[in-house]
Amino acid sequence: MASISFRNVTKRYGDVVAVDDVTLDIRDNAFFCLFGPPLSGKSTILKLILGLEQPDAGEILIDGRPVTHVSPAQRNVAMVFQNLALFPHMTALENVRFPLVERRMEPEHIRARVADVTEKLHIGHILHKPPAQLSGGERQRVAIARALVRDPVAYLMDDPISALDARLREETRVELRRIQREMGKTLVYVTHDQEEAMSVADGMAVFENGRVRQTGTPEDLYRRPNSTYVAGMLGAPAMNVLPMELAVRMQVADAPDRAANLGVRPENLRVGLGELAEITEVEPLGGFTTLGLSLEGTDLRATLRGQPKFTAGQKVGLTVDPGRAHFFDAGGAAIAAH
Amino acid sequence: MQRSLSFEIFRYAAIFTFLALSLIPTIWMISMAFKPIAEWQASGADLTWWPENPTLDNFRFIFGESGSDLIVALERTAGRPILASLLAATFGTLIAMVAGTSAAYGLSRFGAGGNLPLALIQLRIFPPMAVMIPVMIMWAFLGLIDTWYGLALIYGIVTMPFSFWLMKTFFDDMPREIEDAALVEGCSRWRVFLKITLPMMRPALASSALFVFILNWSDYLIALLLTTRDWVTIPVYMASLSSSMTGQLYGAKAALGLIAAVPPVIMGIAIQKQLVRGLTFGALKE
Repeated sequence: MASISFRNVTKRYGDVVAVDDVTLDIRDNAFFCLFGPPLSGKSTILKLILGLEQPDAGEILIDGRPVTHVSPAQRNVAMVFQNLALFPHMTALENVRFPLVERRMEPEHIRARVADVTEKLHIGHILHKPPAQLSGGERQRVAIARALVRDPVAYLMDDPISALDARLREETRVELRRIQREMGKTLVYVTHDQEEAMSVADGMAVFENGRVRQTGTPEDLYRRPNSTYVAGMLGAPAMNVLPMELAVRMQVADAPDRAANLGVRPENLRVGLGELAEITEVEPLGGFTTLGLSLEGTDLRATLRGQPKFTAGQKVGLTVDPGRAHFFDAGGAAIAAH
Repeated sequence: MQRSLSFEIFRYAAIFTFLALSLIPTIWMISMAFKPIAEWQASGADLTWWPENPTLDNFRFIFGESGSDLIVALERTAGRPILASLLAATFGTLIAMVAGTSAAYGLSRFGAGGNLPLALIQLRIFPPMAVMIPVMIMWAFLGLIDTWYGLALIYGIVTMPFSFWLMKTFFDDMPREIEDAALVEGCSRWRVFLKITLPMMRPALASSALFVFILNWSDYLIALLLTTRDWVTIPVYMASLSSSMTGQLYGAKAALGLIAAVPPVIMGIAIQKQLVRGLTFGALKE
């Protein structure tokens, strides 16, 4: 039960600025995603929260209290590392109960906690095995169990399910969401998968080169990205961004004067009769179909419901759903629509 | 894959050649250790692969029992040199491993010492002789000449760079996250080292220790310079097994060599299981 705040935190490794003047508020009991490409500073944020790294500037607060001089063990934050970091010389059971044994808990209490968490994660039958004899998914669960077993103020997870196959990943993240709600604890979750971030997070921060570009709920960020960068990071296929000179041909209304680029999500692009663009590609995906379009040499993507009858090479007209156009200035920053 | 017969013949011929090169000296030593004097002294034509009249006379001889046909009396028996070698090599290895491992951990994790660790190998840059002269003088000053602990100390110093560099590469290869995980889960730095790092390093420690032990165990030069009577080691003692009347006492040397081979072999067998296991196997996701 704790909020986590960053106040102008900077962390450098030699000449590399890993975290650049980050101010961030993660409220209590949130499922908060740190989202961004690899090496954008997300993992460093976790290390700073854990106390494994010290900030070069700024301040980190857990539950409103500065933690600069608090050791990792005393911060009482649990972590699932990206590479899991299980203890190879111990069995799964010894791994899971390690945090409790190290904290000198009563044996009965340990037994009860371990039984509870291993049941939640369905790993009761593999507890006698060392990590080497477990499958990737089982190791993942053991690592998560080791984090969940004690009663920390917050859980941190560094892309913990990236090694699983797509279906297992979906199951696990739903389960994580359920467990997080049950536990009622803050969970800070690092991912580079936008679908993962969008589907489970209450709040998220989008990172670029150690800076936070935007924070908010996934819905907020999706509907009102503050820059072409954030717009491009969320949503698949990504938002189409095209220069205004081209955009005016799609009869976009209300374009602000400063607008240099128009952004339009593939699902907000309407394909109809006309001669404006040419279809280059048709990808039927079952419930919907993705079209590749060429508008005077600029590639666009459109997502349509169902399986409409289009063929590659066909000429079509394009318009934008009213009120769904995003405008960006020359620097890539969003301009609020009137 | 199908291989031609001639290739197979060539392959086995090569294997046997290498086997012979590495094994024949060993076999020769074992065989000679059990030969009576007449057989190992025989010149040229009479030499046989295996002892025709196997005997333990060589072993009895170096332990001071009569029963040998040799008419030389030994100044010393082998018991004391074996003890000297065991003490000096074991404690030397212990010193080298404790110091080397701590230094390697400090450098690998915390960058302790900066570039100074490079100086650790400077002792190896000079010819050993050049280094040993000042050491002799210092040891004489400290009263460490001809003591097993004096020998153990210099063994520890001389082989520490090896244990240091070996352990450093092992520590460098160990993922930091495993230690981080233990730190986060409530361990102090010391407990992390004792409960996580050292147990994980067991194979590395075992192989480094074996390597260092063999270096110490087979040293001749240092022991020759720093011991005189009471604590000469097996290699020095072995060199003394000769006489003006009979020349080299090959049988006795072979017997002593066989005894000298026992500790490293036992150690090797004992840690074999550790060596084949990977260091962090199963700790990380692949």
